[in-house]
Amino acid sequence: MDLRASEVTSILEKEIENYQGESDMRSVGTVLSVGDGVSRVWGLEDCMMNELLEFPGGVRGVALNLEEDNVGCVLLGNASKVKEGDTVRTTGRIISVPTGPSLLGRVVNALGDPVDGRGPLSVTEADYLPIEQPAPSVVERQPVDTPLQTGIKAIDAMIPIGRGQRELIIGDRQTGKTALLTDTIISQKNTGGGDPDNPEQVICIYVAMGQKQSTVVDVVQKLEAQGAMPYTIVVSASAMDEASMQYLAAYAGATMGERFRDEGRDVVIMYDDLYKQALAYRQVMLLLRRPPGREAFPGDVFNLHSRLLERAARLADNAPEINPRFKKGGGSLTALPVVETQEGDVSAYIPTNVISITDGQIFLESNLFNAGVRPAVNAGISVSRVGGAAQIPAMKKIAGGLRLDLATYRELQAFAQFGSDLDKATQKVLTRGEKLVEILKQGQYVPMKVEDQIMVIYAGTSGGLDDLATSKVPAFEKAFLAHMQDNYPDVGTTIREEKKVSDEVKKLLDEALAAVKPQFA
Amino acid sequence: MSTTRVDGVTRRYAGALFELAFARGALDAVQADVERLGRELSSPAIGAYLFDTRVPHAERRSKLEPVLAGMHQLMQNFVGLLFDKRREAVLLNLSAAFHERRLLLDRAAEGVVESAVPLGEAELSKLAAALSRVMDKTLHLENRVTPDLIAGVRVVADNRMIDFSARGRLDGLRRTMLSSPLPSAASSA
Repeated sequence: MDLRASEVTSILEKEIENYQGESDMRSVGTVLSVGDGVSRVWGLEDCMMNELLEFPGGVRGVALNLEEDNVGCVLLGNASKVKEGDTVRTTGRIISVPTGPSLLGRVVNALGDPVDGRGPLSVTEADYLPIEQPAPSVVERQPVDTPLQTGIKAIDAMIPIGRGQRELIIGDRQTGKTALLTDTIISQKNTGGGDPDNPEQVICIYVAMGQKQSTVVDVVQKLEAQGAMPYTIVVSASAMDEASMQYLAAYAGATMGERFRDEGRDVVIMYDDLYKQALAYRQVMLLLRRPPGREAFPGDVFNLHSRLLERAARLADNAPEINPRFKKGGGSLTALPVVETQEGDVSAYIPTNVISITDGQIFLESNLFNAGVRPAVNAGISVSRVGGAAQIPAMKKIAGGLRLDLATYRELQAFAQFGSDLDKATQKVLTRGEKLVEILKQGQYVPMKVEDQIMVIYAGTSGGLDDLATSKVPAFEKAFLAHMQDNYPDVGTTIREEKKVSDEVKKLLDEALAAVKPQFA
Repeated sequence: MSTTRVDGVTRRYAGALFELAFARGALDAVQADVERLGRELSSPAIGAYLFDTRVPHAERRSKLEPVLAGMHQLMQNFVGLLFDKRREAVLLNLSAAFHERRLLLDRAAEGVVESAVPLGEAELSKLAAALSRVMDKTLHLENRVTPDLIAGVRVVADNRMIDFSARGRLDGLRRTMLSSPLPSAASSA
């Protein structure tokens, strides 16, 4: 970063101009003990909950436990600079982070400080907002009815996500959870051409908590390569950061997202992952001597996640009239929390908590992943409780029976392993199922537009692929979409704009199917 | 200024003694006794013996009896109660806790004025009078010389810090400059 003497002088000039001879009166305390990233401070009588504290050496802390004769706080920086007897000062400010458009395209830490080496953010004091904010009330919300296209066929067709919804992504390690998030971010480019100034563009926030630094770098590089960074903010609190930073990062990200939501924009925020966040929270709370509960998590671990996820909402159009905090109505904050399970155990403490808070879950299974079904979505136990209303009619019509067909296929598949003589009806279901599974497979970083998804799924559900060899389905899919693009370019546009599949469109799709299929016979 | 940290139990016991003494109009007498006991306990002969758990309880109690002789009846009852409840550790910081309550009653506070050069008596009392008005309490200040402040004074009283020092100003300026976006960064963003 270039540092010009003239700029320093200009800051000094401003300081001198605004200099006030008044004294600086703060509540102070003395450090009693410090260790493991937490500190106990005696004094600080006027200290507020979640207030930012200043320790010597520029180290900051957050007051979390206000007790009878001391204050327990977590340190947000190098604890080795703090020693017993040091003077601690209150700041009169609840822990806040910078928000606004200048964060787009940047990688920041849990305090909003840039960590991408691209210089400071251009933000003013007014851009700083507290990381804990109340969720919109009942009257300030409206039902979820607009789809958030992830670009992933299996999800958009069977487990649709609406803007303002909270959809959990759950699965063991190495099942493609982060890949699914990355694809969703890349797919948002279709909403506003990747231009963050376009009001249609969905803003994305990726919060990495307790992740490996290499994973974060990988995600950022992929997003940059795909041109998805201009409308994305990455909040990174990696495994090497203090536990306090790891658990606060989620709230910091939510505040950054809310700023856009309250200005009428659509935002999707991804918490990767809440299990590690709960572990970080447990560590901090145990060190602060809060009583441990089940699995040593503190008693408020449910509230930790529920108050975070409640902030996801679709604002009512008249929200600004009800509450002046909202500058424009109609904005949304969609939350995609991730929870990593151990050995597929969805009934563990944190997974069940988060399942109960969210509006549905996408379950990724390692067996499917290893069998080459990617994304490894288990359609049987994945569900979206409000997303159905947010699916465009065309998709609803075409993919309506998809879940049922797949469920029947899975059931019969297990059954068919015991006998070779199968009746025609069963064989038909098995053949159809195989094709559908093949159709729902999708490579990474290739999110698909909704109209393309509808055309491909129509090919499968209409039975058009039943007589095609399963191995040829991926090649067919490519050729079919290319054929549609070349010969019927209006079909895609019609589906996208009218949001329904008319008989005429169906006829054209059937024609195209018949034309492309002979190439793969 | 007292820097002793008083624990919750001591504060509660001292509070009860204080209220009782106040209600009986014996506050000064009891406070004098509390301070005398505090001085006695700080002598190694009694202090070390009294809190040594290897010494039988009754023996420790009897050791304190000559000290208590002649003290106010309330004080004698108080110490007796502490021994009965096995709370003799309260005696350690009783004096500080009682003093805290007294300051609260008198709407007073003690504090330290740090300055780069020693302050005269007149300056100190002038400062105390001015700050007493700001804090709405009678301030009793003592002076401590801290050359690191460069100029001005820094007052720490009643868990508050009032910084009039050059060092404080420089630190504030440093913080502002570190958090201010440079004009070139703002225009390029």
